[in-house]
Amino acid sequence: MDVNHIFSRREFLLVSGVMVVAVSAPQAWGAKEAPLIIMDQAKGLIIADPTKCVGCRRCELACSEFNDGKASPTISRIKISRNLNFGPKGLHTGQPGQGTWGNGLVIQDVCKQCPHPVPCANACPNDAIVVIPPTNARVVDSNKCIGCKMCQKACPWEMMSFDSDTNRATKCFLCDGNPKCVEACPAEALSYVTWRDLTDKVPPRVVPTAVVSPDKAQTCNDCHMK
Amino acid sequence: MVKHGGWAGKVLRIDLSTGRISTEDTIEKYKDYLGGTGIGYRVIWDEVPTGTKPFDPANKIVFGVGPLAGTGAPCNGRIAVTTLWPTCWPKPLVASGHMGGHFAAELKYAGFDAVIIEGRADSPVWLQVVDGKAEIKDARHLWGQGIRRTTVDINQQMGPEASVAAIGQAGENLVPMSVVINSYSHSAGGIGGVMGSKNLKAIGVRGTGSVRIAGDKGEWEKVVKLHLSLLGSVNQHVVPNSPQPWAEYYSDTRWVGSKGRKWGSANPNIDTGACDPHNLNRIAYRTNNAAFFLGEKAWQYTVRGNGCSSCPIRCHTMLKVPSVSSKYGIPAVGQNTCVGLLFGRDFFKTFPDGPRGQTAIEACMVGMHLADDLGIWENYGQMQRDFQQLYYSGTIKNKVGEDEFKSYSWDQYEKGDPTFLFELLPRIANKQDELATSLGLGTGYLLERWDIPERDWQQDQKIAYWKLGHPKHHSSEEAGQCGVIINTQYNRDVQCHSHVNFIRNGLPLKVQKQLAAEIWGSSDAVDAVAAYSPMNIYKAKMAKWSLLRKELHDSLSLCNWMGPWIASPLKERNYRGEDSIESLLYSLATGDKKSREELDEVAERIFLLHRALTIRDMGTKEMRTQHDTIPDWVFTDPAGKAPYTKGTNRMDREDIKLAMDMYYEQMGWDKKSGSPTVAAYHRLGLGDVADELTKRRLVP
Repeated sequence: MDVNHIFSRREFLLVSGVMVVAVSAPQAWGAKEAPLIIMDQAKGLIIADPTKCVGCRRCELACSEFNDGKASPTISRIKISRNLNFGPKGLHTGQPGQGTWGNGLVIQDVCKQCPHPVPCANACPNDAIVVIPPTNARVVDSNKCIGCKMCQKACPWEMMSFDSDTNRATKCFLCDGNPKCVEACPAEALSYVTWRDLTDKVPPRVVPTAVVSPDKAQTCNDCHMK
Repeated sequence: MVKHGGWAGKVLRIDLSTGRISTEDTIEKYKDYLGGTGIGYRVIWDEVPTGTKPFDPANKIVFGVGPLAGTGAPCNGRIAVTTLWPTCWPKPLVASGHMGGHFAAELKYAGFDAVIIEGRADSPVWLQVVDGKAEIKDARHLWGQGIRRTTVDINQQMGPEASVAAIGQAGENLVPMSVVINSYSHSAGGIGGVMGSKNLKAIGVRGTGSVRIAGDKGEWEKVVKLHLSLLGSVNQHVVPNSPQPWAEYYSDTRWVGSKGRKWGSANPNIDTGACDPHNLNRIAYRTNNAAFFLGEKAWQYTVRGNGCSSCPIRCHTMLKVPSVSSKYGIPAVGQNTCVGLLFGRDFFKTFPDGPRGQTAIEACMVGMHLADDLGIWENYGQMQRDFQQLYYSGTIKNKVGEDEFKSYSWDQYEKGDPTFLFELLPRIANKQDELATSLGLGTGYLLERWDIPERDWQQDQKIAYWKLGHPKHHSSEEAGQCGVIINTQYNRDVQCHSHVNFIRNGLPLKVQKQLAAEIWGSSDAVDAVAAYSPMNIYKAKMAKWSLLRKELHDSLSLCNWMGPWIASPLKERNYRGEDSIESLLYSLATGDKKSREELDEVAERIFLLHRALTIRDMGTKEMRTQHDTIPDWVFTDPAGKAPYTKGTNRMDREDIKLAMDMYYEQMGWDKKSGSPTVAAYHRLGLGDVADELTKRRLVP
């Protein structure tokens, strides 16, 4: 079973070719493929209103069933279940504040389709997180992903999913512009909107622990140390 | 990767006496019974001997879901819990409770279709189930705690995503009128004491797996969207209860959403709007059961709708009533639906500000806070009706000692002061005195203990008592003869909504009759409520269909409070629903293609097994006279109106005899005894059951 999409080779080269804007140091040139650095902004974004969420999880089911042919909140790229009972802070910080056991608010966790530098893509040792048109969503190429989970350690919002059936990472790819989760919400709590930067608006769930590989770090220097 | 579509593939078996944990292959052993109550009845038939009492270690509890649980099929959140029923009087028989919430789905993601609990642990334990593995854990520190504290404690161990089904003090103390609850407010009645008798405090489930859809995912998406398009509000009411710009009709239904009616305690508040049925992104705003049951005032306290996993109909309403914090010292936020919501209110005859005022809402909040933590069951409101009847007839004063009687604040009770609930409910959970202990027994055993003839309870429609210790559940007052037939068939209150969801769907009689003709063969199957016509064969067909769909839903894991879906809010379909939606979903999810008729046959097998179990454990084949009984109030009218005239629910005894004749005939059972024939068992693949009953001389 596939996760996300399988690209044609031509489509993939086109995408990755566009995205590589910096190369590593001259002595490494030709020795290995240039690292993939995603520069393009995404065009679309899913936003969520917690006051409208009714906790039915139909978004998680639409995401996994209609894309993957199986009901699986674990691989869903929108995440409700983990916040449903006690809110994003869970039970480890005192009284239940949010969720069904607190004030009722269910926080929907959605991918921010991060601007450059894209943490999940930069942490990937195989450049398997790429950009695809028309939405420019950041997408896992399941042909390149080896299932190392480094991307999971990189996302401050824990939005990388892992499919144990395929041994591949998976993430929100905006369903090519028609997000199934948005379509599935019975309470109009989700919207698909023009991308804007939420990375400095939404508090992180975890401190990322992934590191960026030296060749990618070198490209940071190449561009930014002029 | 799971082997089959739909099913998880494994049944978990826990022997609490030995600590042995084992698994069975669902498909090999139980596929002919689908899941849910199907597995439940089969396990009780095969493994629990006649004469076993509910609280004996030999009794078993089967938490069962079916192939649709955990999928995106709408309304699949309920799990069936089957066991010998502790409030079934005078002799315990098999029955099932059903709880929604997120437990059913989580069990599937954890890799199991059912959990069979057997034996009795030496000391209090709880069961942890995580991704295919089970572990029996020490619960001594949890014993004595309420359901809320127990759940939070287990969630701290298992993580916030785990779904925890726990009992409260009532279950621990073997109060028959007790529940198991998951997801804050979703309870299965009657189960608490059975779990308590096994020293099982809770089951915590966490699953990261998946439920595979066997068919093409595009086809599945189409069928799910078709199903969604047919949904109405809660109870599949397909007509709104106020005029709407899109609606041809309006009627007295539970579709209460409308422009101007707001979730007033959402911040900022949210208008429920017109809820055009073509807008599938507004389904959740159609229903507000707090507003339906408690009146317009409930809107201002509504935070949001809540409910089960996968269900866009949010029948549990989350309320925030700030005044209860200062007045009663309880949390301002509470939630439940129907009789769970009304648990506290229904003890009272009057309130200072009327039945739909502020005090009534506060009584609901106090009731939910106490009952859903202590884990007390209300038996479809029978506990509250019994209480009122016993108090206002002076019976309580006569039956309990003077000191005990004086220990209650009856003046507060009569005034409708919710603080009275703090006196009564903890005593029920703790079996503290004669009154509380008796209420906790359930109606049948209470009446016996207090020397009140059951017949006294069967005279008055307001008490709503039916038989075997349990009340009516949508009978003649809503569906005439069809409702009567259905109410004779189970060993607790009948949990069947197939018939009433159609009758009360809000469509004009003319439209209902058109739909009825297509499904049951004649428009004569349905009448207007309280304007009934004499019995005919189509009403018997409707009764059979209703019962089989109930069992089908309880076994597939679809909600029979929401289904079936034979009517829709769609004018362009002439308000037709889809009578084959269950088979469409089942076939695609599992890959086992079955037509509507084939699936109904499986449902009939399951229903027949329930009948066989009832016959076996009653030890008689005389079901018509011993089991399928009808209370006297069905044949009376308070104003003395004649049967089958306008404005009365009164039935006629001879006509109901004919109704039962026709029903038994439809089922292929013996009319004289009301028992299935050997041929009926064989026709549905229950030859082994027929053999056993033949040996016991329990076939006609």
